[in-house]
Amino acid sequence: MFIIDDIILRSIGISLPGLDMIWTLEQIQKFALKGYYNPEKIRDQIKETRLLYEFGELDRQEYEQMNSQLLHKLDVAQKVLEMDLGSRMDILG
Amino acid sequence: MVRRIRKVEKDVPETLGKYVYCVIPSPIKERKSFGNIGFDASEVYTMDYRDLSPVVSDVTYRDYAVDEQEVEIHRNVVEQIMREYSVIPVAYGMAFKSKKLLQIAMSAGYQAMQKALPIVDGKVELGVKVFLPKDLEPMNSAQREDCSADFLQSLLAVSSDSKKLKLFSERLIINSTFLVDKSTMDEFSSQVGKLQEKYHEMKVQYSGPWPAYNFVDIHILGGKRRGFR
Repeated sequence: MFIIDDIILRSIGISLPGLDMIWTLEQIQKFALKGYYNPEKIRDQIKETRLLYEFGELDRQEYEQMNSQLLHKLDVAQKVLEMDLGSRMDILG
Repeated sequence: MVRRIRKVEKDVPETLGKYVYCVIPSPIKERKSFGNIGFDASEVYTMDYRDLSPVVSDVTYRDYAVDEQEVEIHRNVVEQIMREYSVIPVAYGMAFKSKKLLQIAMSAGYQAMQKALPIVDGKVELGVKVFLPKDLEPMNSAQREDCSADFLQSLLAVSSDSKKLKLFSERLIINSTFLVDKSTMDEFSSQVGKLQEKYHEMKVQYSGPWPAYNFVDIHILGGKRRGFR
């Protein structure tokens, strides 16, 4: 989506290299956050961890530690999703 | 780990709400108690709504976050009720602020529940997962498909319906659930046993009986887990 926006802006002769760079970095950060804090992916990891415990590949302590970390990560992921950290107000109109 | 999100309402006393575990057909009109097996050792009992009975307990109204111990309480209650009745499952965490709101929800979901009754009547859900052990060579897609087809064909022959669930791990070959008549559960179990022997190098998890969660999909007044409050 940002590529199309960028092309349109350039086609009408608008380019603000400094802001473009900040915006691009923000988009990269947003994608990275979305990848890392993907609730669906974390839920899958929670289920997989449970299965590994039930099949004896993890002991109770390992399972509880991993599960607790994943639940915390899921909590953060849901907050990240609600906050939508990548969006900012367009002050240039 | 206990993760519980309580409603923060200053100066408002905690109110008792109704937590719904499941809904059963109502052959008898009087209130039936299943004992103090609910949340916070609350009594689990039937309410009356036309020809259906929601099975509830009076508990402090709050949000029910996913917590292993609390999910286990919900599961245990439903398991006990399933011994005597066919149940229409209700998702974990369905709490209502008052009896009135529960009745409104029952009214909204009544037709859907009526349709669900013949599906769950005398049936249970059984789950089968096939998992690749970590020391085993990974299977290619053709091998995975063959194994999956073999399991599904053999088990469909002794069940009424099946659903493929999400393969949430790369090592998961099969994650399916089956709707099985209570009277043919032994036959189904024996078929699973045969497949376990045939694929002895795999890890097979056979679970249940559960209420038919994956075969009945009723959402009352929006919200998958929260219901109407």
